[in-house]
Amino acid sequence: MAQLPDIDFTLEYPYTRTTGPIIGPFLTGLRDGRILGTRVGDRVICPPLEYDPADGSTVGPENLVEVGPAGTVEGWTWVAEPTSKHPFDRPFAFAQIRLDGADTTMLHAVDAGSIDNMSTGMRVVVRFNDERVGSVTDVYFVPGEDAPDAPSVDADAEPVGIMEHLIGVRIREPLQPFRKRFLEGLLQKKIIGQRSPADGKVHVPSRGYDAINRVPMTEDDDVEVSGRGTVTSYTEITPIQYHGQTETEPYIRCSVLLDGADTTIGGVDIRDIPIEEFKVGMRLQIVWRDDISFDDEDNRAYGLNESVYERWERTGEPDVDPDLVKEHNF
Amino acid sequence: MAFEPQENDIAIVGVAQTAAHARFDGPEVVLIMECVNRLLGDAGIERDDVGFTIAGSCDYLSGMPFAFVSNVDGMGAWPPVYESHVEMDGAWALFEAWLRLQMGDIDVAMVVGSGKSSPCNAREVFHLQADPYVVAPLGLDPDALAGIQARALIDAGKATEADIADVVARSRAAAAANPNAQVAGSVSIDELLAAPYDMAPLRAHDVSPKADGAAALLIARRDRARELTDNPVWITGLDHRIESHHAGLRDLTDSESTRLAAAGAGVADGAVDVAELHTTHAHEEIILRAALGLGDDTQINPSGGPLAGDPVMATGLTRIIEVAKRIAAGDASRGVAHAASGAALQQNLVCVLQEGA
Repeated sequence: MAQLPDIDFTLEYPYTRTTGPIIGPFLTGLRDGRILGTRVGDRVICPPLEYDPADGSTVGPENLVEVGPAGTVEGWTWVAEPTSKHPFDRPFAFAQIRLDGADTTMLHAVDAGSIDNMSTGMRVVVRFNDERVGSVTDVYFVPGEDAPDAPSVDADAEPVGIMEHLIGVRIREPLQPFRKRFLEGLLQKKIIGQRSPADGKVHVPSRGYDAINRVPMTEDDDVEVSGRGTVTSYTEITPIQYHGQTETEPYIRCSVLLDGADTTIGGVDIRDIPIEEFKVGMRLQIVWRDDISFDDEDNRAYGLNESVYERWERTGEPDVDPDLVKEHNF
Repeated sequence: MAFEPQENDIAIVGVAQTAAHARFDGPEVVLIMECVNRLLGDAGIERDDVGFTIAGSCDYLSGMPFAFVSNVDGMGAWPPVYESHVEMDGAWALFEAWLRLQMGDIDVAMVVGSGKSSPCNAREVFHLQADPYVVAPLGLDPDALAGIQARALIDAGKATEADIADVVARSRAAAAANPNAQVAGSVSIDELLAAPYDMAPLRAHDVSPKADGAAALLIARRDRARELTDNPVWITGLDHRIESHHAGLRDLTDSESTRLAAAGAGVADGAVDVAELHTTHAHEEIILRAALGLGDDTQINPSGGPLAGDPVMATGLTRIIEVAKRIAAGDASRGVAHAASGAALQQNLVCVLQEGA
């Protein structure tokens, strides 16, 4: 039997944010080779804010002033083992840097080579990456005072009105025990559910607990259910051609109440039963693939992995009265 | 002087917690279920007797959008509950429940905090709490800002590396008596100082070990509380405050938000026998002691605190539970629980708990 791998995936969300009247010029400045702060009363704040932190009153773009390019380290830590989100993949410092002309510190990275090159009060100076998009990651700092060479700037580039930030978290974990037994069952063409010790109802696929009675379930509660069942609800999907869509023709997704189960399998894919003939109450049976394998399972799916079946076919039995399965519409 | 509760006063009438698991192999829902079943069982009530339930958790940790919705299964999803959620530590869920009960129309609320942080690297999640424009893209995570904060404390002469190691040694020694702790035992300051730096001047042991776990408690209005337990623990003060997201505008060697929350909660109105502090980085205890005005006569983190086990999103609520347990058992008559959120103690909640009839 094939081994079931641990779960390993990255959940990502692309964020786009409008930058506004102060952060926009600040990010545009980083792209174009200068660092801006805002004059608020008798002090200069960098990174700049759209408001006076003392009273929330608006601070407009007329208050932007250039600061740096060098500054003084007022606080720091040495990152011995960078995470995948850090700007360097080698040890570096995060520091609070008070840029010349500013009265507050900015958090940023210092590429210092060694912790021995870091100290409170040291001088650092900005460096501009060759590739700059209008992000705080366009720049970094190095020890010293030497002003950077003026970076090449596209004079026609639009100001930065939108910033993009792709966030993501890598998730790695073993399959949970109930989930592993369910998937191992599928590899052997068996559908394993769990019978609640509280009320005897059989959950397929199980989530490892009975939510109605608040009872965790264990391997002792595992039961095998039939590959035959009754359609309890369905919908016809008409594929919209969005980016990444691979479907072109309409198809059916239905829920099936397997014989011996008290919960339905959702999202069952039907390709070769005409929609005109399809109905709630229809009896179906699974047609397993000869060679079942999957490598993208997780602890979260509540259906039956599509890769285990060729199709679902009619059993030839008479339809079940829809009234008898109306409790199982979902 | 014993606290004399009024009609609108609210007490903790039951608590439950799981161990801080380095990795729990089942669903987060089951962690919650274990807590809730024990909580209701000990109180001798049914879920239907609870007028309001609220949970604190973080979907990013388990990489499951809307995980907080399935977490309701652990609290009992049927029949439908009157329910709320905060994407924060369970201590902030308690704050909402405490406000809710003061409306007077219901008399019992259940509060849950839970998290499974083992599937991810929490540092790669919680930098997203920082300013999304100028800090988060740097991946500047709470451990990194904690390192900067610890350095600031040392530079200001408010602590030494040995002082920080002393916090860890005391936490681990205290945790030996806590069956829910993840790390415990005797370790010398010299041994700790011999370890390599991680986020210098912090070392790996100065950072709380992330855990999977859940915690829950029941609160009730005065008259119902007296029916449910012989040892109600009264919430006599609860406040929380937040500081700027712009670290350059903060004094990292102090915690003004904790000081304000402590004043709001009335920490200084009586002796503090015990305090449980949400110290996910060892040096934070030094800052918090000063901000809370705690002296040497207050026992700090007798459970071992978060440095002995950090079930993220339940850790702050666990501080409240650990103080409540000691008051209910008669080991203390008045205590302070603290919870923190954000990087470098950006947001702080202070809860004063007292014994009383």
